[in-house]
Amino acid sequence: MVNDMKILAVDDDPIILELLTQFVSAVGEHELTTATSGAEAIEIVSAGRGNEFDCFLFDIQMPHMDGIALTQSIRSSTRYADTPILMLTAMSDKRYVDAAFAAGATDYVTKPFELAELKARLGLVEGLIDARNSRTRKIFATQNLSGKTQAGNSSEMLELHEPISIYDVDNVIEYLAMENYVAQLSRGALFGSTTFAFTIRTIEKLFASLSAFEFSSLVSDVAEIISDTLANHQFLMSYAGSGTFVCVTESGWRPDMLALVNAVNLALARTELYDNTGQLLYVRVSAGEAIRLIWKSENSVMEAIGSAHASAEAASARHERAMNDLWLVEQRA
Amino acid sequence: MKDMIDTLPGIERIRTRFLTMLKTRQGDIASHALSAWETTDVDAFRDHLAAAQGILHQIAGSAGSLNFGTLGTAARQCENDILGFLESDESATATVPGEIMESLDTFVSLSQALLDENSKD
Repeated sequence: MVNDMKILAVDDDPIILELLTQFVSAVGEHELTTATSGAEAIEIVSAGRGNEFDCFLFDIQMPHMDGIALTQSIRSSTRYADTPILMLTAMSDKRYVDAAFAAGATDYVTKPFELAELKARLGLVEGLIDARNSRTRKIFATQNLSGKTQAGNSSEMLELHEPISIYDVDNVIEYLAMENYVAQLSRGALFGSTTFAFTIRTIEKLFASLSAFEFSSLVSDVAEIISDTLANHQFLMSYAGSGTFVCVTESGWRPDMLALVNAVNLALARTELYDNTGQLLYVRVSAGEAIRLIWKSENSVMEAIGSAHASAEAASARHERAMNDLWLVEQRA
Repeated sequence: MKDMIDTLPGIERIRTRFLTMLKTRQGDIASHALSAWETTDVDAFRDHLAAAQGILHQIAGSAGSLNFGTLGTAARQCENDILGFLESDESATATVPGEIMESLDTFVSLSQALLDENSKD
């Protein structure tokens, strides 16, 4: 576990910064740096001086540069593309919370905060950093390996079910951030919220034939195509592992899944994806049912997302069976 | 869990600083509210209310953590009232509704009572 994280906290209220200093020193051996504005934070981060941060705590509502703009700025740096960012916010800031998740926040802590809550959130962050370090090592190990020998496949380094970090794709957030986002959704109004999912067909075969780096690139490319297809709608999406992307929309939009999956597959056909040897990959997705989230508790919202996930995987499996049956019929004929 | 806050070594110093700042903040809120009340310029009116809301937001964010929960709740209520008003069409009239003045008055009275209570200690 990471026991001594370097944390940068940014809040325009000096009282909050003093409180955080006290809280952080009480919950572990972490090193806290503070800034009273987004501009000061960027200056500290840019200066570097070997002082790289493991975690950020940003107030959402600040004058001049708010926490959302600051998150976007930090995320644009390769070094901090997936460093956990916890937003500090009031419950009344829901629209800011949504924008913060879309900008790349990992989670949020509500003000006024309590010691136990902050301790729990920092504990989750530590676990996330550990898991991510391990995954990044695996992917880059295979990237180096495939560069030299073209040997190995993704199953040697990655698990098919593992969520993979996807960078620089609009509205795509980490799976952990999606779970945190859904938790806050269930505390507020769910009216107009819907969840749905897409699964890459024959994902096991693709996973077995590609290196971990190629597989990660494929997942990222498909995420981009889905995100572009949904671009006219308000949504958040996350890669949940096993070739499945889960989406949540809050805009009241009720997606026509058949039209949507056709649009995504058309875009995939036009894009033409290749592996590292120049071999064209046949990549298509199946979509499950769109499930409304009205009047659900936190657990049942997660269950609904699980159902959307399972429904997309079942659609993919049905499609595969149908293709096999078709092939058998043709053989008999 | 809030009791655990009292065990933090520097918490008394932070409480004292919060109260010192509250005195100034309370004055600033009252000043912005009065300026909003007096002006007929819509932009200036909105700016004054937004400034008061920003200060209330800060108080609401930290008061509860320092065991000043009642004050924090009043600040949050007041903040929400102002935000709701600023988002409504009514704010284009540059007239502070009576409910907001009442809500601000409640907050200022509460903070004054807290300051008086702590000045006796």
